[in-house]
Parts: sequence; C-alpha cells; structure tokens
Amino acid sequence: MAADAMVGHIGSLVVRRLPPLLLLVAIGLVWEAAKLGGLLPITVPAPGAVWTALIDHGGDLVYHSIATLGAALTGYVAAIAVAAALAGLAVTWPISERPVFTLAILIDSLPLIAVAPILMLWLGNGTTLHVIVAAGAALFPLLVGMIQGFKSTDSTTRELFHVLSASRWQTLTRLMLPNALPAIFSALKVAAPLALLGTLIAEWMGTDRGLGTLIIYALFSFNVPLVWLSILTVCALTAVSYALLAFAEHRLVDWAHPRGTTGGRST
Amino acid sequence: MMTDIQIKAVSKRFAIDRSEILALDDVSLTFPAGSFSALIGPSGCGKSTLLRMIADVIAPSTGSILIGDHPPGKARRSHEIGFVFQSASLLPWRSVIDNVRLPGELSNKQGSRSPEALVDLVGLNGFEEAKPAQLSGGMQQRVAIARALALDPKVLLMDEPFGALDEITRQRMNVELLRIWKETNTTAVLVTHTISEAVFMADTVHVLSAHPGRLAASIAIDLPRPRHLALLQSHAFNALENQVRAALFAKEIASGR
Ligand SMILES: Nc1ncnc2c1ncn2[C@@H]1O[C@H](COP(=O)(O)OP(=O)(O)OP(=O)(O)O)[C@@H](O)[C@H]1O
Ligand SMILES: [Mg+2]
Repeated sequence: MAADAMVGHIGSLVVRRLPPLLLLVAIGLVWEAAKLGGLLPITVPAPGAVWTALIDHGGDLVYHSIATLGAALTGYVAAIAVAAALAGLAVTWPISERPVFTLAILIDSLPLIAVAPILMLWLGNGTTLHVIVAAGAALFPLLVGMIQGFKSTDSTTRELFHVLSASRWQTLTRLMLPNALPAIFSALKVAAPLALLGTLIAEWMGTDRGLGTLIIYALFSFNVPLVWLSILTVCALTAVSYALLAFAEHRLVDWAHPRGTTGGRST
Repeated sequence: MMTDIQIKAVSKRFAIDRSEILALDDVSLTFPAGSFSALIGPSGCGKSTLLRMIADVIAPSTGSILIGDHPPGKARRSHEIGFVFQSASLLPWRSVIDNVRLPGELSNKQGSRSPEALVDLVGLNGFEEAKPAQLSGGMQQRVAIARALALDPKVLLMDEPFGALDEITRQRMNVELLRIWKETNTTAVLVTHTISEAVFMADTVHVLSAHPGRLAASIAIDLPRPRHLALLQSHAFNALENQVRAALFAKEIASGR
C-alpha cells in the first residue's frame, strides 16, 4: 500500500517535472543547431560552448562565487537585522514610523550605481563596501514588508491580548511576529536577489575577487561563453536562494495556506 | 464567590474628525452576580461599546463601572474577565489546544480546569490538534469560549458570539452555552441581535435604543431553568418575546409605522 503510494508519488512528480525539462532540452538543441547553422550573432554562444566554459573555469567560478555569496549573505543578514530593529521601533513607538520610512525611502532612492563609487572613496574597495551596498539594496523591501506585516494584526486580536493583559513584549512575539511571517517571507524573497545584485554592482567598481569581477574580466577578454556562464551562475544562485526561502516558508507558515490550497495532502 | 457588575451613569462620547458623537447616554444598570443577562438593541446603539468598557478596552467618558468591588482595569489585570468576540479571533498558527492555552501562557497562571478539560467542556474533544482553518465557524466560537474560560473568569462577556452562525447551529450552541454557564458559575452578559435568543438565554433582557444609546427597558425573564428548546413554542415564551419586541420598536409602534 505504502509502496504503491510511493510509486504513485514519484510517478506524479515525474509527470509534473517532465514537460518543462523536455522543453528545456528541446530549446537547447534548437539553439545549438541554430548556432551551428550560423544563425546566431557572435555574442550569443552555443550551449555546448557554455558547457565547455563550465568545465574549463569551474574552479574559478566556485572561487569567485564564494566571495560574492559571502558578501551578499552578510549584507542580507545585516539588512534583516537593521530592518527588524527599525520595524520594531516603528511599530512599538508609532511617532518614529514616519522618520524611519523617510530614511528608508531616502536610502532606496539613491541609485546604487552612483553611490557605490562614493562609498568606495570612503571605504576602499574591499568586502566592507560589498557588504554595505548589498545591505543597502536589500533594506527597503525588508523594512516595508516587516512594518506592514506587523501592522496587519487585526484589531480584535489586539483587543484580545489587551483583555488578557499581555505585555508589549508578549504582544510583539506571540501575536505580531507570527502574524507578520507571511509578509516577512515575501519581503525576504524579494530582497535576496537585490542583495546579490548590490554585491555585483559593488564588485564592478573593481576588485580582485567576485562574480562581478569575473563578468567584467570575461567581457574585456571577449570570452562570450564565460560571460554567459557567470550570468547563468548568478541566476542559479538567485533561484537557489528563492527555493530555500520558499521551503522555509512552507515549513514555518503552513497555517497561512489553509485547507487544500497547498495541494498534496488531502484529508 | 460570584461577582456582580454595576454600571453607574455611564456615558461614552467618541470624537470623529471634529464632531463628537454620543454613543451611550447615562446608562445605569446592574448585572447581578451569577446571572445571565442579554443586551439587545439596533445596530450602533452602543452594545459593543458598553461591553468593551466593562472589559477595560476603552474608558467611559463619565460615570463608573464596578466589577465586584474593583474597577474594570483591576478586574482585567487579575483575569476576572472572559471576553468572546463576534469573530472567533483565534490565532491561526496555533492548534485548538494551543489557542486555549494562550491565556495561561501569557499570565503564567492556571485555571481550575485544564485546557484539555475546557476543550472537552465545549465538546471539541478529538479536535485538540486541529488548526482553526480546519474548523467550522461554530467550532471556532466554541474554541473562543473555551479560551475565555481558561483562567476562571468571574464575568463572561460575549459580543454576538453566534452572530455569524446559521439558526440551527446557533440554537444548539445556545443550549450548550447555558450548560457551560451553569457549570462555571460566571456572571454572563450576552450581546445579541435576536429577540428569541435574548429571551431564551437570559434572566433579564436589557433593551437599548439608538442615537444616543439609552437603556429603554429591562425585562425580567421568569422562565424556569434549565431551559430546553421546547420552550421556544410556549405561550409564556412568545409573550416575553412580544414584550421585548414592543420595547425595541416603541417609537415605530407609537408613530404607527
Ligand atoms: N472607536 C470608535 N471611534 C469612533 N466611534 C465609535 C468607535 N466605536 C464605536 N463608535 C460609535 O459608537 C456607536 C456605537 O457603536 P457600537 O459598536 O457600540 O454599536 P453596537 O451596538 O455594538 O452595534 P452593532 O450591533 O452593529 O455591533 C456607533 O455609532 C459607532 O459609530
Ligand atoms: Mg457591536
């Protein structure tokens, strides 16, 4: 019985995953053929060439990815901490909400590509710069998501906590925080690629290690497959971060998808 | 040890923009210890406002309220007040049993009944681990009642707890609510829009009129307890219903509309 269910499960998984996979393979084949037929410009490599670049430069790719990932992740976590502190301030002390928002909008309205060079003058072009630009890029959606999440608690439930004589801290941790989790996860998903992008921009200012550096290097040495490979790597990192967050969300906020809407388990 | 609620000349004004509205005007009444009272009146007459003042959610503009010997703030802080809202307002991320545990967690106190016993009291055994989204509206309100009873409140305030339920479920819930009220010895106040519900449940039905909210009549319901659904068809019951109806529509009846 259980084995049957297992086979059925895997079967349905294959059936669901197979068409997009086949499509991808088909696109790859057509692409490769088009390149062989001379239909594509020189700036577009054949999938095979990108694959070769992966084999040749796999080690470089890992080396540079680690630096980028480290800076992006550090900046991301820092942005989360800052956003949480500011959101907590704005929510527990409503007078501060406007100044906090104004500050966040100000930071967000600064074009990173223009600010990064100034920051570089102050901080030098090291990891500190990369981390700060990554954090700056990720801060705004995190802050907005957290504040909106915290404020979305409905008034009756807050009255309930008042009647139960809950402390501010209890109201924050037992009511507002769990209630805000769906909004926070949406913000986390939006902010993760932004942190990565921020790091790349900072790396373009010129540094010796990082995916941004690799892209610039490949560009100037006109190694088209390597350019594509670096960009695909950035895409893959983004996709992985999204998948991890979606998984964590599914685990932590299962209550936000009531009966049946998540599919799978039926009762 | 039962507790009465005294409302003494209470008025409540709300400021809306630059104008003020008088939601409640000089209301005085007493809910005797251990009694079951119903508050009925048209929408906007201040029923919820009165209940929220008793529960110390908002303060009266003038007048005073005493719960036993204590002002509402003190009664609230010593967990003498159980409140059931119109919407069940359960925490959706908590299971049934964890929702009932919430008051105990927040206060670090325990009532005489365990959360498990309370879930049993409201007839939800077997659903302890269910999430609110998996329950029907009636079941959710039962959880809300169990939660309100968690710390042995002396008064149980209910703001249209079954307002969203269908007639059949509501009648059943009412019978159960009377049983629970008897078992827990609380002073109960029920806000309702339904005349038959008010008469079926209460020892006294207080009728409020709107704009401004005033006490129009207090009608004693001297029907024997325990009350059964068969009562709904009796003449005595219908006569009391008519009495409440007359008080509710006094103005319209007088003007011949
Ligand atoms: N927080 C508030 N601010 C301003 N006005 C309010 C507030 N709460 C209630 N009111 C006003 O007070 C009056 C009474 O409201 P209340 O909610 O007590 O009525 P109600 O009798 O419970 O009505 P319903 O049966 O529709 O629930 C209404 O006119 C309402 O607009
Ligand atoms: Mg109301």
